[in-house]
Amino acid sequence: MTDIAGRQPAVTRSAPPRHALAFGGAIAAIGAGAIVAATVPSNLMMTLLTQAVISAILATGVGFLIRQNGVVSFGHAAFYGIACYAIALAMRHGAVQAELAIVLALVLPPALAFLLGLVIVRIPGVAFSMLTLAVGQACYEFAMKARQVTGGEDGFSVSLPPSLFGIPTALFQDPRSMFLVSWSALVLIMLALAVTAASPFGRLTVAIRENEERARFIGYRTTLPRALVLTLSAFVTAIAGVLFTLYNAFVSPDVLHWSQSGSALIMAIIGGPRLIWGPALGAIIFFFAKDLAGDATEHWQGIIGVILIVVMFMLPVGIGGALTRLWQRRRTP
Amino acid sequence: MTEILAIEGTDLTRPFGGFIALKGVDIAVPRGEIRGLIGPNGAGKSTLIDVLSGRASHWSGTVRMFGADIGAMTAQRRRRAGLARSFQRTNIFPDLTVIDQLEIAARAAETPNVDEIMAELNLTALALRRAADISYGDQRRLDLALALIGRPKILLLDEPAAGLSIRESLDLAHGLKDLVARWGVTVLLVEHDMEVVFSICDRITVLHLGAILAEGTPDEIRRIPEVVTAYLGTSV
Amino acid sequence: MLVQILNGLVYGGLLYVVSVGLVLIFGLRRIVNFAHGSLFMLGAYVGFSVAAMGGFWGAVLAAAVVLAIVGAVLDVSILQPLQREDPIVTVLVTFGLLLVLEDFAQFVWGKDYLKMPVPAMFAGSVPILGESFPIYRLVVIAVAALVALGLSIWLHFSKIGLYVRASSADPLTTAMQGVNTDRVSVIVVALGAALAGLSGTISAPLLALSPSMGSYILIESFIIVVVGGLGSFVGAFIAAIVIGQLHNFGLVYVPWAATMIPFLLMVVVLIWRPTGIAGSHV
Repeated sequence: MTDIAGRQPAVTRSAPPRHALAFGGAIAAIGAGAIVAATVPSNLMMTLLTQAVISAILATGVGFLIRQNGVVSFGHAAFYGIACYAIALAMRHGAVQAELAIVLALVLPPALAFLLGLVIVRIPGVAFSMLTLAVGQACYEFAMKARQVTGGEDGFSVSLPPSLFGIPTALFQDPRSMFLVSWSALVLIMLALAVTAASPFGRLTVAIRENEERARFIGYRTTLPRALVLTLSAFVTAIAGVLFTLYNAFVSPDVLHWSQSGSALIMAIIGGPRLIWGPALGAIIFFFAKDLAGDATEHWQGIIGVILIVVMFMLPVGIGGALTRLWQRRRTP
Repeated sequence: MTEILAIEGTDLTRPFGGFIALKGVDIAVPRGEIRGLIGPNGAGKSTLIDVLSGRASHWSGTVRMFGADIGAMTAQRRRRAGLARSFQRTNIFPDLTVIDQLEIAARAAETPNVDEIMAELNLTALALRRAADISYGDQRRLDLALALIGRPKILLLDEPAAGLSIRESLDLAHGLKDLVARWGVTVLLVEHDMEVVFSICDRITVLHLGAILAEGTPDEIRRIPEVVTAYLGTSV
Repeated sequence: MLVQILNGLVYGGLLYVVSVGLVLIFGLRRIVNFAHGSLFMLGAYVGFSVAAMGGFWGAVLAAAVVLAIVGAVLDVSILQPLQREDPIVTVLVTFGLLLVLEDFAQFVWGKDYLKMPVPAMFAGSVPILGESFPIYRLVVIAVAALVALGLSIWLHFSKIGLYVRASSADPLTTAMQGVNTDRVSVIVVALGAALAGLSGTISAPLLALSPSMGSYILIESFIIVVVGGLGSFVGAFIAAIVIGQLHNFGLVYVPWAATMIPFLLMVVVLIWRPTGIAGSHV
């Protein structure tokens, strides 16, 4: 039976803590990112990479929910978009300082996710997916219709001050520096999620995902851990939203549209949701494939639909999952 | 001498769709006893376990644990209070390794006795194997192991020997008897395997069509004509 | 006031016909067809194209037939092969199909909004209690009512209908009854798709046609199906009427919040009853 959340065993007791390796790897990855930022000649390519990385963070949030809770969200753009609008609206009305707006943008989506989560994590799989689609789209409709509050369909520019937390804002708007910022964020996020997944909490949520009933019968409450996973997933997604807004300094209801959620979901699936780094891989593949599609990008939606169908039929663990399997097979001849 | 009743159900009734699965059942198991619960299929044995363990809904009556009314407690809280159960249809965590799931269970319990239980149920060699990959018999024992972690005070076991070979069943039976002696745990055991039931149970309750048909020691039960003809056959 | 209620019935009726197709497919196959809204959209476009040459009835017939074929192909090529997998796999595949169909529609008919004129035979209005009401809208209500009635009869008196109802309640036992599940499945999914297409065609004169109309109606039908209880035909009927009224009154009295109301209803129902009002089949 196919299980898109994967079939690799959880980290076992026998595996020694590889924290040193993980931290070292993270630093090396960030270093590699710096090299990329410094050496890639084309600014256009840099912009593409930056967008890919921000999307990768969004996809990672969606993927983490699939991995830990075993549910597929079609509405994560809601958390992403709420973060975007939080900054945009705060700046527009001059009510709060930019730094505070950013903090708000990072806190509000997870807080809402937690409250919503306490209610909806009990809802079974497919109904959950349907609900997330409806929730996400409701947010979109609200942004479209409530013109006085959100500026409606056209969206609006976000006015940012010259510096944020002491860092010049220009840094967030130059593709090279922003790539490094976003890339570093992605690496650190993946590291943090990997540590969480390996922790007792992470393993508990996998157990609950596997068999919610038995988890209760061995003494665990199952609603709270799952709500916390949704919260964490929303937090990661909110980070993507903040980065997007700082980079583009523009917000419109598009950030809330179901196609935004759908793209992130597809990136996660293509890359392999069972791996922490799978969705990020999927995002990179997604962006490069789109770039390669060139003129055919007019039919990008159809192309990505076909890719999704093919992956689900033939490679349910995603490209990342397949690569991991190949690697494992090499090591055990 | 008043015995302490570990688990007690009074006037338990459970309607199920059109028919009534339990009809005002009374059951009381004193502490330290191994009680067998037998009866034909559809008698209501699993339903009774479900009511006592907090799995069933829409039931009426009273459930008491060491005198305290636990009827309103969720299954999760009952487990924390020391009431554990195993399942007739194997209910394990397929994707986790054997040791991982036992450790997760241990973290919720007071006494993390993972190694002891693995040794007791011959699971040590399988510790790092994925639960979905081990044999059916091993999975049954894992299901039981998940119930035994933490030395619960009361064990409700629903056909733990189902699908096991004769040899495995008897090993299981004697292992259980051992544990009971060492831990002082109380056991309510649903089983179809009469060898197991008659060899380790102190008393037996016979359930038929949702009501108690008979209750007594194995010898007493053996001699009741209705039970023998309806259920036991002549081999026991 | 009566006009408002009737308008609510029009919208509710359209929602019912498309949603009941979703219920049919779920009831039998235990999967949620994320491409269902796209089938509605295709029905609208096919109807639009055929209407130009074949008239209204030709359009309706064409849409129903084409979508029935699409449904049959969908069942045989996607739903049946994936039935042993986790239901979420089918959700994702049908979601991929949604993307493909939306792209296809855009390719064939373009991105711009298209408008289908009200068929000549139903043009004009009639006076109802002093107010004037378009005849075509009454036709829509009538069609929805006929579908509800016809489906009800079919479900209760035909062999396949009985099987569908039994399967909705207990798929496992029903599967063991020795009925040729796969053949029934093709028929039922084709029917579900045809209903979606039919709803699309008859709604075409009332809505603006665009490739994105599918995703909009999909979400609406999800709300209906979840609120009514996944797998419940009666639930879908009731939910469609309720949401049709809410939608309409919302549009008139609180336009900016109108779109939020059905969603809020969905969340409230799911909080109270995680399996929906009538159903318990997830």
